[in-house]
Amino acid sequence: MGREIHETQPDNASGSSAPAAPGPGRVILAMNAITKTFPGVRALSGVDMTVRAGEVAAILGENGAGKSTLMNILAGVFSDYGGVIELDGVPVAIHSPKAAQHLGIAMIHQELNLVPDMSIVDNIFLGREPRTARGTIDRRRMDEQATRLLAEVGLTLHPRRPVRQCRVAEQQLIEVAKALSASLRVLVMDEPTSALADAEVRRLFTVIRRLAAQGVGIVYISHRLEELDEIADSVTVLRDGAYIGRREMAGTTRGELISMMVGRPLDELFPRSDSPTGPGEEVIRVEGLDLAGDRREGRAALHGVRLIARAGEIVGLAGLMGAGRSETLEAIYGVFPRRAVHGNVRLRGRRYQPRSPRHAIRNGIALVAEDRKAQSLVLTNSVRFNASLAALGRFMRRGTVSAARERAAVAGMVTDLRIKTPGLNTAVANLSGGNQQKVVLAKCLLTEPSLILMDEPTRGIDVGAKAEIYQLMTELARRGSAIVMVSSELPELLAMCDRIVVLCEGRVTAEFRRGEGSQEAILDAAMDRQAVLGIDAASPSRAPARREVSDE
Amino acid sequence: MSSRTTPASPGVLAPSEPPGRRSLRARLRGVLPVLGSLQGYIGLVLVIAAGMLTKGQVFWNQQNLTNAVGAFASRGILAVGETLVILTAGIDLSVGSLLGIASMVSALLLVHQNLNIYEIVPLCMVVGAFFGLANGAATALLRIQSFVVTLAMLNVVRGIDRMLSDNVSVGTQLINAQGQLTPRSAQFQVLGTPGHNVFTGLPLPFVGRAGIYYPVLALVVVVVVFQLLLSKSKFGRHIYAVGGNETAARLSGVNTTYVKIAVFMLAGLLAGFAGPIDAAYSASADPLAGSSYELDAIAAVVIGGASLAGGRGSIVGTLVGSLILTLLDNVLGLNAISDNAQLIIKGLIVILAVVIQRPDFFRALGPAVRRLGRLTRTRTGDPPGEVASGSPQPQSATPPLEESR
Repeated sequence: MGREIHETQPDNASGSSAPAAPGPGRVILAMNAITKTFPGVRALSGVDMTVRAGEVAAILGENGAGKSTLMNILAGVFSDYGGVIELDGVPVAIHSPKAAQHLGIAMIHQELNLVPDMSIVDNIFLGREPRTARGTIDRRRMDEQATRLLAEVGLTLHPRRPVRQCRVAEQQLIEVAKALSASLRVLVMDEPTSALADAEVRRLFTVIRRLAAQGVGIVYISHRLEELDEIADSVTVLRDGAYIGRREMAGTTRGELISMMVGRPLDELFPRSDSPTGPGEEVIRVEGLDLAGDRREGRAALHGVRLIARAGEIVGLAGLMGAGRSETLEAIYGVFPRRAVHGNVRLRGRRYQPRSPRHAIRNGIALVAEDRKAQSLVLTNSVRFNASLAALGRFMRRGTVSAARERAAVAGMVTDLRIKTPGLNTAVANLSGGNQQKVVLAKCLLTEPSLILMDEPTRGIDVGAKAEIYQLMTELARRGSAIVMVSSELPELLAMCDRIVVLCEGRVTAEFRRGEGSQEAILDAAMDRQAVLGIDAASPSRAPARREVSDE
Repeated sequence: MSSRTTPASPGVLAPSEPPGRRSLRARLRGVLPVLGSLQGYIGLVLVIAAGMLTKGQVFWNQQNLTNAVGAFASRGILAVGETLVILTAGIDLSVGSLLGIASMVSALLLVHQNLNIYEIVPLCMVVGAFFGLANGAATALLRIQSFVVTLAMLNVVRGIDRMLSDNVSVGTQLINAQGQLTPRSAQFQVLGTPGHNVFTGLPLPFVGRAGIYYPVLALVVVVVVFQLLLSKSKFGRHIYAVGGNETAARLSGVNTTYVKIAVFMLAGLLAGFAGPIDAAYSASADPLAGSSYELDAIAAVVIGGASLAGGRGSIVGTLVGSLILTLLDNVLGLNAISDNAQLIIKGLIVILAVVIQRPDFFRALGPAVRRLGRLTRTRTGDPPGEVASGSPQPQSATPPLEESR
């Protein structure tokens, strides 16, 4: 589930400037003045994009800027668009994924499109299986070709292996192998590294460079600026569906790109300074929290986790994927069956037994879950329905939900959190990621919690919305809420948290006060090498020095 | 984000009109989702038009219409219960059998115990609710798919029903020594016969009207009560939440187990309520009564615009679906179209209904109709009377749908 901590590398010395690109080739793809309108929304207005042969062309933009829309047009997902697409100088009409495939355009979506229960080879040839003369599927040829394709992307897996048994990084490369064919001209990759660990990112980059060297045009969509330094030759920036500009990567600073993306210089991303007033009384004290792991549900085990959060405090939970960060929050929130959880929890000084989310909400605990679409929102329902769902009890009048009260409360939240929505009755599916996340926050805040558990509160949302959410968290803490946040982005934790608790394989391995930690120290503790600045009682039980990163 | 200045997009239904002017439109927008989809009403009008064109007065008179609706009332009530289950993304195949056993129980209670309807109907509802509870418990607690659970229950209950009756149907028209219906029997018959006072069981003075027809009355009351439950109560919201995203519902403090058990129980309860009506309508309880009614009920729900994936639909929509099916039955019958052909036509109509209920159906029909469609698209779960007045002025365009992939 969780994403690995990725170290923000301040200009990796070896790959700081453009890689060994074979110079600008001919223009292989030109998209001119592309427009696309969804009902009531103009998603793209006059966007230009060119890709040269052998070039890695990045598209940069906040969530909702139109990157994916643009690429979906290229891949034939949306058939009605305005503007002209030229491939090798010839205008083409791409009105179906099949047409795109035919033209040598392949797209690797962010959510991988492999059939988990089928083998690698079956996935690679899905829909274009080679036939024998008798009309049956030519398995021998498939296996041969698959082995060759896998080798080309640097995989040595057996082609008959089920995709389910492959790691995410391997699946990503299998997607690349699937896209490879003699006619491949343009390969679009939508956030390919979002689920990968560092070493796996390198491997993917090697494959990308090799493809580029063969003359394939690569379109690379990413949020991560530090990656672009390393892999991209040029960057096209979109904002609010409009074309902002194109820059050669060499000689462009990160700050310049950010201000192009955001439309203003990004001075104050993290508003939080050292807490002005000292922390208040203890809101929650967790001691010896044990959780039985469950491999089938992908649930990590916890061993004696200790966690304290005081009023006005933001406590961070750091750790690698599978270290038990989300599980800690969910155990407190009462998500797991009671028999799986043991430990001593005190809420505002009183003994507290996590029972169910419902029980937690009644006791003033709120959870902002990790995956807002899967765990937090009823996407087809309205902003109002979603925001009020957890707090309906507050709007009851004579046994029915009072529409007036509910509307007033939700409208207040929409104003306070600056949720950009056409109306309270708009389906949340039509909002951008940042605004969806704000609806989730509104839902939690309407329950008037004193303890807010946040699992990756800023994942997958744009920089502007991030800043607003940081501001909100600061404000909530100032007003006396205790916040426990899980994040994979270390700069975020270091800037926002009063204390950071580091987990490794379900055990607390270190705890840092504000100003004490550094990215390296946190990573060290997360990987359970000698923790540098462990605070006296912070590491009651040290994990054995074995490390096992699972990718599931 | 807020400092961004983007021209306000034109297509958005911006809540920026003056309040006096908006109220009617907003009120309309609030009520319409509850009413189901526009397509349903178009279908209903088409069926009525077909009836009037082919049979004129023979079709369009109160007697015929009341009879038609009365014949379908018990299935309509089943469909209301089925709607609740389908809204939570479940399905209940056992409601037909439950109706069957309730009708048998009601007849047996009348014949052997000589109970009055105020005792019979509640007892039948208890029977239905009991089996509904079993359905719900197996689904929510044992985590068996509701399709499987209720498929099994369909057979179990039918078996019990046939054991109770010894495979013989039980007549409900009991004649006393004078050759008249016994009072209790007469009272029972009112549940399915037009022109009687529901409370006294006596024939109403016939003043050119058909009088109160209990099955129709019962259907209307059930529809009103359950539509209010869905759109006004906390429980109703929870039903939509469970069907829309069960994990999100649970993490938002909804007791999903309770909701799932409750909807099956209510579906059973309503089947129990419909049983005596069906028995009185056919003047006997047949051991096979209610067979395949569940399919009619599901068809009515689907035609009414609900999604089998859960989270979308309304009771009034289901009522419209029921009316389409019942009037279609009637029109086809009046035109002497064979039963076999009727089955084919009804089957095709279900497919057609699902196709035209697609949310993007209107998109294909040009902008004028599209606007209508947007106005009426079933975004249920929102209570009626909604006005978007509280929302702030959006500063910029609606965010693009980039993420809705």
